[in-house]
Amino acid sequence: MIKKLGLVILSLTLLIGGCAEQKLLEKIGLITLAGYDLNEDGKVVTTAVIRQVDQEFQSMVTTSSAVNDSSLGALTEINRKTTKKLMQGQMRITLFGETLATEGIGSFLNTLSKNSSTSSGILLAMTAGNAKELLEYPYKNINDVGQEIYKLIEQNVDAELVTSSTLHEVSQDYYSVGRDMIIPIIERKEEVIEVTGVALFNKDKLVGQLPAKDSFYLLLIRGKFKSGKFETTIPGDIFSSNQSDSSEPVPVVLDTISSTKKLKLTDKNVPEFELQINLNGRILELDAEMDFDNPVEIEKLEKAINQSLTEELKSILDYCQEINSDVFGLGKQYRSQVRNSKLTHESWHAKYPTAKVNIKINFKILRSGVFE
Amino acid sequence: MKNVIHVKPQQMINAFLVFFVVHTTQIGVGIHGFQRIIYQESKQDAWFSVLVIGIVSHVIVIVMIKTLEMYDSHDLYGINREVFGTWIGNFINVIYFFYCSVAFFSVLINYIEVIQTWIFPLLSTWFISATLLLLVIYTFLGGLRVIVGVSFFSFMLAFWLIFVLVFPLQYSDPQSLFPILESKFIDILKGAKAMTFTIIGFEILYIIFPFVKDKKNIRKPVHYGLLVTTLMYLAVILVSLTYFSGEQLSKTIWATLSLFSIVQFPFLERFEFLAVCFWMLIILPNLCLYVWAAHRGLTGMINISAKKFIWLFSCIVLLLTFFIKSRIQINSINNIFGQVAFYIVFIYPLFLYVLALVKKKLTS
Amino acid sequence: MGTPKFMSKMRIEKNAKTYSRKKEKMGRSPMSNKFFKNMFKKKESKQQAQSDSSSLKNKSINNHSHDKKLISPDKAKFISLIEKESNNPSDLKTKFITEDYTLFYIENLVDSRVLNKHILPVVLKNPNSSPSELKFQLQIPEANMTENLELAILELFSGAALIHKNGYPTVLLAKINTRESRSLSAPENESQVIGSQVGFNESLSTNESLVRRYIRTPDLYIKKLTVGKISNTTVSILYLKSIASEEMVQTLQQRITDLKIDALLDSSFLAEMIDDNSLSPFPQMLLTERPDRFCDGLLNGKLGILVDGSSMAVICPHSFIEFFQSREDQNLRWPIASFLRLLRFSAVFLSIFLTPLYVAALTFHYEVIPQSLLVPLSESRALVPFPPIIEALLLELIIELLREAGARLPTKVGQTIGIVGGIVIGTAAVQAGITSNILIIIVALSALASFTTPSYMMGNVIRAIRFPIIILAGFWGFYGIMLGFCFLLIHLIKQSSLGTPYTAPFYPPRWVDWRDSIIRLPLPLTNLRPTSSRAKKRKKYEEEPIDPEKS
Repeated sequence: MIKKLGLVILSLTLLIGGCAEQKLLEKIGLITLAGYDLNEDGKVVTTAVIRQVDQEFQSMVTTSSAVNDSSLGALTEINRKTTKKLMQGQMRITLFGETLATEGIGSFLNTLSKNSSTSSGILLAMTAGNAKELLEYPYKNINDVGQEIYKLIEQNVDAELVTSSTLHEVSQDYYSVGRDMIIPIIERKEEVIEVTGVALFNKDKLVGQLPAKDSFYLLLIRGKFKSGKFETTIPGDIFSSNQSDSSEPVPVVLDTISSTKKLKLTDKNVPEFELQINLNGRILELDAEMDFDNPVEIEKLEKAINQSLTEELKSILDYCQEINSDVFGLGKQYRSQVRNSKLTHESWHAKYPTAKVNIKINFKILRSGVFE
Repeated sequence: MKNVIHVKPQQMINAFLVFFVVHTTQIGVGIHGFQRIIYQESKQDAWFSVLVIGIVSHVIVIVMIKTLEMYDSHDLYGINREVFGTWIGNFINVIYFFYCSVAFFSVLINYIEVIQTWIFPLLSTWFISATLLLLVIYTFLGGLRVIVGVSFFSFMLAFWLIFVLVFPLQYSDPQSLFPILESKFIDILKGAKAMTFTIIGFEILYIIFPFVKDKKNIRKPVHYGLLVTTLMYLAVILVSLTYFSGEQLSKTIWATLSLFSIVQFPFLERFEFLAVCFWMLIILPNLCLYVWAAHRGLTGMINISAKKFIWLFSCIVLLLTFFIKSRIQINSINNIFGQVAFYIVFIYPLFLYVLALVKKKLTS
Repeated sequence: MGTPKFMSKMRIEKNAKTYSRKKEKMGRSPMSNKFFKNMFKKKESKQQAQSDSSSLKNKSINNHSHDKKLISPDKAKFISLIEKESNNPSDLKTKFITEDYTLFYIENLVDSRVLNKHILPVVLKNPNSSPSELKFQLQIPEANMTENLELAILELFSGAALIHKNGYPTVLLAKINTRESRSLSAPENESQVIGSQVGFNESLSTNESLVRRYIRTPDLYIKKLTVGKISNTTVSILYLKSIASEEMVQTLQQRITDLKIDALLDSSFLAEMIDDNSLSPFPQMLLTERPDRFCDGLLNGKLGILVDGSSMAVICPHSFIEFFQSREDQNLRWPIASFLRLLRFSAVFLSIFLTPLYVAALTFHYEVIPQSLLVPLSESRALVPFPPIIEALLLELIIELLREAGARLPTKVGQTIGIVGGIVIGTAAVQAGITSNILIIIVALSALASFTTPSYMMGNVIRAIRFPIIILAGFWGFYGIMLGFCFLLIHLIKQSSLGTPYTAPFYPPRWVDWRDSIIRLPLPLTNLRPTSSRAKKRKKYEEEPIDPEKS
C-alpha cells in the first residue's frame, strides 16, 4: 500500500514537472490580419492588425508594421512594439500588396501552410496598391479593419460574388499542375472597403486583373458556381414589341437556380476543349416589354442571353490566354484525360495560349417573377 | 504438447470482440500521414494501393487462421516452438517480442511528435510518454478483458471521426483522381508496400487466438475488422487525393490532420487541435495490445510477473524516448520498422504456414 | 430457523477454511481486479452453496454442543445471570408475576399496553402451565422458546419480554417491541413527477411490508442477517427466489457476514463496505429511498438490502449507466423517456467537461475559439486577475459551498442561502472582476447538469471528479482533459458490481440490453431482464406485438 502511494506521489511530482506553455487569451495580442507589401529595397513590409483587450473591458484594435526580409521576422519586429505577445492562431485574413503579388507570393503560401497555428481556412486577398495604406487609413466608420475585411470577403464568397480564396484552396491551385490561382482584390474607396476585382496569377505571380463583375464567369467555368445573381446585356432588337430605339443594348439581371458545367478535351493535339454550361434561372429585371407567355419570345430571349454570355466568356478566355494564366483549370482537364501526359507547369503553359475552347451555353428561363 | 496455453474461462473473450481488437490495432498513428507516403509511389492511383494491401491482408489473415487452427490453443510463440523446436523457435520469438516492442515504441514516439508539432511545441517528450505509459500500465494491469474493453470503447467513441470527412469533401475535386490507373502496376504495389506501417496490427490475431472463447466463429469478426479498416483508409485516401492537389499532398506531412483543419463548428474552430488530443483514445488500444503481445512472448521464455514486466518495460521505453528527438530519427525508425514489419507481418505467416503443413505431413 | 446472527457465526466456524479461500478470491483489496475473478465461477459457487446448506443441517443437529451459556432452571440463579449478562442497566425491569414466573423486559422497548393486557393476565390465569404451554396461550404475534442465554439477552435488548419459569431450562421470548417510526412520507432526495410518492422510512419492518405490498408473492424471499458486534443491526437481503441468481445471493451474503465491524448505522456504510472496489469514487450499488425503484430492481433479478434504522435501501448489482436511469422513465412514453435519458447522460458529460474545456481553451488553445465568441470571451476575461484555472476552481468551490450550505441548513434557510449566494456572490464576483461572467454561466450550467443525475451519490461523484479534470486542463489543456477522460474510462471498465461488469451493457457488449440503456425503447421490446443481473428467467413477460390490433 505504502509502495503504491509512493508511486502515485512520484508520478504526481513527475507530472507537475512537465508544464505546457500557456497562451492565456487576455495575455496575448491576436493578429487577425496580416498584410504584406514590398518596398523599394525589395524588403517585406508587414502590417498586422492586432486585437487585444485593455483594462476597460474594451477590445482594442491597433495596426502596426515593420520592415524585414522575412514575414515572420517582421512579426518579431512588431512584437517589440506591443505590450502583449503576438500570436497568429486567430489570423483570418492575409493581404498582399500589388507589387508583392507581381513579384510572387509562393514563399508566403508555403510559410502559412507550414505553420501549425494558422488555419488552412484563412482567406487571402490582394489590395489594389499598398496593403499598408489600406490598413492604416483612419476609417471613420470602421472600428476593426481586420474584422471588416474578413466579413466583407466572407459575405461576398457566400453570395458567390467572388471566388472563395481560403489558404487551402489557393494553395491547392498553386501546387497543382494545370490550374492557376485567383484571389479577390480589395480596394479602399473613400471611407469604405470594397471588392473591386479578381487577381489572376501565373504560378505565384500576378499577371492580370479582372473587374469584380467578371468573377461570375470565372466561378462558372471553375465549376464552383451553384446559384447566384448576375447581369448581362442583350441586344435590344430582339423584342418585336419594343418601340424604343432597337439598337440599344438592354441590361438583364438573372438569377441562377441551378447550373451544371461540363469541360471536355476533344483534341489533345491542339489542344481543343468543349465547354458546356447549362443554367436554369429566372429573370429578376428586364428593362423591356416582353410577353412571357409566348414561347417563341422566351426562346428568343434565351438565345440572346446565351449569345451574350458566350461572348463575355470568350473575351475573358482570350484575355486569360493572352496573359497566360490558366485560371479555368483547362490544364487539369488535359492532365486528367491524357494518359501519361507528364504535364508540368511549363509544358502546359507553352500549350495553353493556343488552346481552343468551344463554348456552349444553354440558359433556360424557368420563372419570371410574380408580376408581368 | 507442452506449449499449449491453458486459459482460464474468465480470461476468455467472445469471438466478435476480435473485430474491435483487430480494427483498433490497425488504426493508430499511421492514419495521420500515410497519404503522402503512398502518393509518392503511386500518385493519383494511391487508392488502388490501399485496396491492394487491404485484399492482401485478408489473404494473410486466412493463412494465419489456418495455421492457428492446425495448432489448437497455441499462440504464435507456441507454434514457433512447435515447428522449429525450442531453440530456433525461441530465437524467432525473441525477434517477435522485439517487433511488438518496437511497434509499441514507434506508435508512442509518432504520437508524441504529433502532439509536439501541433499543440505543445515546448512540452517535454518524457512527460507525454510518462503520462501515456501510466495509462497503459493502468490498463495492462487490468488484464486482457480490460485491454479489449479499451479497444471496444475506443472504436465506439472514435468512430464518428470518419464523418468529419464530410467537411473537406466540400472542397474536393474528383478530377484529381483521373486518369485512373495511370501509374504502373509495380508502382501501385510499391505504394501498397509503403502502406505496411499503417495497416499492420492484425497480426495481434496470432497472439489473441488462444484467448477466444468460440474459436470457430473467429473468421467473420476478423474479416469484418479488416474490411472496416480498409474502407476507412480508402475513404481517407480518396478524400485526401481529391482535397489536396498533387504536390500539395506530397508536402503535407499529416494529411489527415490537415483535412481536419478546415472543419469548423459554430462553437469550435480548428478541429485538429481537439482531434490530435482525442487521438489518445485511438492509440491507447494500440499501445496496450502491443505491450500485451510482447508480454505474452516473454512469459513463454522467462518467468516474469505481469506487474514486474510492465513497470520494467515502461521504464525502458521512457528512457529510450529521451534519445529520440528529431523528425529525421522518427522517420528513419518508421521506415526501418515498416520494412521489417512487412516481412514479419506479410511474408512470415506464409512461410510459417508452409512449414507447419510440411511438418504435419511428415509427422503423420 | 435459528437466529441469523447465530447462524452466521456457526458458519464462520464451520467453513473457516473455505471462507478464507473465498475471501482471497473476493479480493476486497482495492487494487486487485475482481472484475474477472468473480465473473465466471459458477461451479465453485454451486459447491459453496451445497456446503452451506449442509452446514445448516448440521447446525440444527449439533445445536446444543456449541452453546456456551445455557439458561439456568433455577430462578435466583437465572436472575443473577441475567443481571450479570445485561450489566443490570437501570431500565431493566424484573417482575415476579407468580412464585415461579419471572418477567424481564427493558422499559420503553416493549409495548406496555400489550404487556399489561395480553401477557400479565394470561400468566396470572395459568400459573401452573409450563413455558411451552404458555407459548400457545399468549395472545401475541410472536413468541419463541430458547435455551440459549446469549440469544435471550440479545432479544431482551431488541424489545422482547423474557418469561422464565422456575425449574425449566428454557425461557419464553415474547416479542412485543414497540414500533416507533415516523410515518411514511414522500422521498425527499429522489422526487419524481409521475409515479408513486412514498418513500422508505427508518423501520425495517415497515420497509419490508412496503416491498411486500408491491410484490405479493411467496417468491419474494427475505433473508435476515445481523451485522455489527455492538449495534447488532438487522440486515435483510431481499430477492425473488425464482429469478435472482443463487450465486450472487451467496456472494452478497458472504460479503455481509464477512464484515467485522462494530456498528452499522446506515445502509450507505454497508454498501461501501461490501462494494467490489471501496477505493473507487464511483458507487457500485444503488442507494434508493424509493420502494418502487427498489422493487423494480428486485423484479429485474437484482438483490436488495434493507438495513434496520436506515431509510435508504441498497440495490445490487448496479451498472454505471443504470445510475442515470430514473424509475420515472418507465412511467413516461418511450420517446420522452429516451429523450430524458439522453439529456441526463449528456448532462453528465457537460458537467464533467464543460468547465475544463473552458479552462483549456482559454489557457492553451485560443485558436479553437470561433471569432464570434472571441470578443465576448476576451472582454469578460479582461479584468480577471487570475489565470482561468484559478478562476474556475474558485467559482466551482463557491458553487460547492453553496450546495453544501444549502444541504446542511434547515430547509427554509437553505433556500434563502441558495438565492442570496447565487445572486449576490455571482453578481459581486463579476463586478469585482474576479471572475468572468461567461464562466459563471458555464459553472452554473455544469452544476445544474450534475443535479439531473437521479442518484444523489452518483451526482456527488460527477461533481467531485470535475476538479481533478479542471486541474489537468489547466496544466495541459485538451491533452490533460483527454488524460482524465481515458483514465476515467479505463477505471470504469475495470470496476465491477457484485462481480458483474460495471460498464454493462456496453462492455462486454450485450446488444439486446442496449434497448434499455441510454435510451428506452417501447415496452414490448424491453421485455428481457438485463444480462448483468444473471437472472434465472431472462424474460419478464412474453413479447407482445409492437402494434397490436386493439379489440
